[in-house]
Amino acid sequence: MFGRWPLTSRVLVRVGLVTLLFVVVQQTLMLDLRVGGVHPDIMILLPIVAGLVGGPSRGAWMGFATGLVADLFLPTPFGLSALVATMLGYAVGVATLALDRTAVWLPVVAALAGSALYELVYGVLGSVLGQPQMLHVDLVRVIAVVSITNAVLAIPAMGLVTWALPAASTEGVPTSPLSSGVAR
Amino acid sequence: MAPPRRYRRPRTTLLILVLASVTIITLDARGGFHRITSGVRSVAADAFSPIRGGIDDIIEPVGSFLAGSVHYGAVRQQNQKLQDELDQLRTQQVSQQEVLQQMKQLTALLHLPFLQNLQTVPAVVTDFGTSDFASTIDISVGRNQGVQLNMPVVGTSGAAGQGGLVGQVVQRNDDSATVRLITDGQSAVGVRYGSSANSLAVLTGQGSGKALSADLVPSNTPLVDGDVFYTSGLPGASYPTGIPVARVVAHRNGLTSAQETVSLEPEADLVHLRYVSVILWGPSA
Repeated sequence: MFGRWPLTSRVLVRVGLVTLLFVVVQQTLMLDLRVGGVHPDIMILLPIVAGLVGGPSRGAWMGFATGLVADLFLPTPFGLSALVATMLGYAVGVATLALDRTAVWLPVVAALAGSALYELVYGVLGSVLGQPQMLHVDLVRVIAVVSITNAVLAIPAMGLVTWALPAASTEGVPTSPLSSGVAR
Repeated sequence: MAPPRRYRRPRTTLLILVLASVTIITLDARGGFHRITSGVRSVAADAFSPIRGGIDDIIEPVGSFLAGSVHYGAVRQQNQKLQDELDQLRTQQVSQQEVLQQMKQLTALLHLPFLQNLQTVPAVVTDFGTSDFASTIDISVGRNQGVQLNMPVVGTSGAAGQGGLVGQVVQRNDDSATVRLITDGQSAVGVRYGSSANSLAVLTGQGSGKALSADLVPSNTPLVDGDVFYTSGLPGASYPTGIPVARVVAHRNGLTSAQETVSLEPEADLVHLRYVSVILWGPSA
């Protein structure tokens, strides 16, 4: 189960390839690209864009999977990225249900706001989970660097995720007058 | 009223995934499962190490080429030939200075006075932290070079200092390791200060770039700016005795508190780390 469509091997391979590409870019280019001691985090883009392309469930699934992958390379508690990214993917999917998902500005704004929200929740949750140092960082700077970078990269990321996932989801989106009722 | 049916399924999915994540976090924090996650992280780091190296090798010349092109455009308006020569000389000078600096650091690292008979493994710092939320560095030695978890890591000072404690190994892979710096919020180092053998304290990190804080220093302790705190080496301590950790930069009498408020700067230069030494030492050694 992966949202409302079956998880075919083609989808798996494509999602795997896109995730691998993001991991490689994150672990090489992005780690060297530091602004004021802070580096971008493009892994957050995947659940955001998946939430936009496929709706809440797919956003949540993508967040869980990519979060676990990201956790492999982080010194913070294992599973924390997965938890926050799951909620982020879902939130983006729900928040954009009523919006025109084809609007060009939407991925940029979603990446900007989603990344800021992610970093904030990540720091707070980490602190709650016994990592108080996670609130000792310059959170404003982290949010600024990560959000702006992700906003810039949102459009190409959207293209990649759209390629990886099957045709756009209609999850929660009325597709006809009949389907806009309570049951679908 | 029950929510519309179309929303139920995403919510169930969310609930399942959040529960799965929380379960993973809980299991990871409670012993046994942590070994598995640590092992998987180690495998991932080992697998990515050559990819990182390869891509860095590709990017560096491209970056140099682009920088060179931009520079070329600017100097063309002046005297191109002379400027090129000047640039060459400058580059040579910079690289010579860099080499000298590196040699200085390496020499100092080999002769750290406090190491005495402790066996060490030198390492290159390959990365400055993979997370914006933790103060860590990645180094070029690992399990294959004898590096184990919790081993202390030391480095040199920027100025005339004697060098000091950098941190502790928190993740070791085949040929690389991650070191938690003493400035990290999770770091706590048992230290000794002053002339009395009973003057003990704990230095805790406050985050990258921030001063360390000393706990358990009684109020009105006669401290002087510049006083150095050394690892205590008490039985069961995580570090061998006598390693300089940090130097007092500010202290304030806690008039109403039982403790002195003390801020300290690390003795090792954590900002410009290029080389470090891992001390092959464990609490049982």
